[in-house]
Amino acid sequence: MKRIPIELKVNGVKHHLMVKPNWTLLDVMRNDLGLTGAKKGCGSGKCGCCTVLMNGEPVDSCLILAAQANGEEFVTIEGLGTGKPHPLQLAFVEKGAIQCGFCTPGTILTAKALLDTNPHPREAEIKAALAGNFCRCTGYVKIVEAIQSCVQP
Amino acid sequence: MRLPAFEYHSAVSLSDALEKLAQLGPHARVLAGGTDLVLRMKLRIEKGDQLVDIGKVRELAFIRKEGSTIRIGALTRFSDIAASETLRKHLPILSSAAEQIGSWQIRNRATIGGNLCSASPAADSAPALLALDARVVFVGPEGEANASLESFFTGPRTHILHPAQILKEIVIESSEGRSAGTYLKLMRRKAADLAMAGVAVQARLNPEEQTLAEVTIGLGGVAATPIRAKRAEAMLKGLSHAKALKVLPEAALMAAMGANPSGRRIPEDYRRAIVEAYVKRGAKSVLETLFDGGPAR
Repeated sequence: MKRIPIELKVNGVKHHLMVKPNWTLLDVMRNDLGLTGAKKGCGSGKCGCCTVLMNGEPVDSCLILAAQANGEEFVTIEGLGTGKPHPLQLAFVEKGAIQCGFCTPGTILTAKALLDTNPHPREAEIKAALAGNFCRCTGYVKIVEAIQSCVQP
Repeated sequence: MRLPAFEYHSAVSLSDALEKLAQLGPHARVLAGGTDLVLRMKLRIEKGDQLVDIGKVRELAFIRKEGSTIRIGALTRFSDIAASETLRKHLPILSSAAEQIGSWQIRNRATIGGNLCSASPAADSAPALLALDARVVFVGPEGEANASLESFFTGPRTHILHPAQILKEIVIESSEGRSAGTYLKLMRRKAADLAMAGVAVQARLNPEEQTLAEVTIGLGGVAATPIRAKRAEAMLKGLSHAKALKVLPEAALMAAMGANPSGRRIPEDYRRAIVEAYVKRGAKSVLETLFDGGPAR
């Protein structure tokens, strides 16, 4: 397989990479950029553990070829709370919205995208936004509470 | 799950994509959002030795209204369809179907053209588009052509396009006057799931006679392809509110009999019962909106 040159902007930093066609964006994030916050869960776009923000919107990085990501801008969980923790990260800790933690990076990024586009979501809107982020520990109650606690009055 | 080996080509324009497809031959595949194709290649259900990525062909991503004609570019994502004010106003049945597709993550990548070209019998956008009597426009080496969506699907995962052709846009005539529509989807989970069955009902009012000028019903996940329930439609067309309600149980049964589910994932009888129930439920709410002056279009 011939390698393809791509350029990604991840967490504000530009990267020039030579990728194989069958590498996913998730592979490149984890293996080449050392950003292991995004997790490989189901690998089929159901669980959302691999969620990253692409141009501000949540996407499943396991279903995007690295080559398709060429020229786009991404935020991973490592790009949040540099210096001091992001308010969502603090809220998740404070409310006990984390148990095993495997889904947390993706869930927090989806929550961030939601609050960025809809600063005052109703509970139903929070739940709808999180439909693609599976959490098998918490039962979502504390996750929804944590997100609600970040809504500016 | 790892992807098999393949060659990747990125197209910069529609003409570039067409050239690449023609050059690469019949085994080349078009890659749009990839939420379906990449997954099916991972699962080794589908092969793509050569992928032509049209993801950067921005000229194929648009929603336009010209007079009463609405054109949706094949590369328009479901998140953009769900968010479009134009569609919410003129084709709310499509907005509703788009909202119910996959998860937010999937809707941010999956495209309407990709959904149709994947041609799953349960394709989520198909029942609503069938009920809207949509046409598809495609281009290839021999130029541009179009077809009704109804004639587009030829079987499970197959359609009328040749390997060198690309779906360009979906064209819908938004009807004059008062119309209403609804899309009902049965899932195993409350969200982010495939349709076990999808039922779309669209109707238009004849305001002078207070009758149904037009009724269209699209069904997904209940036959080898998404289908229209034409006999059920004919039973309801031209009727008043009261008469339509009276005929509805029979029409819904007719729609269910017209379905031809495989019974592979769910028993046939159950799927037919769902069609019957959803046609009844969908048509009832559409009739109410049309005749009783609820919030409608």
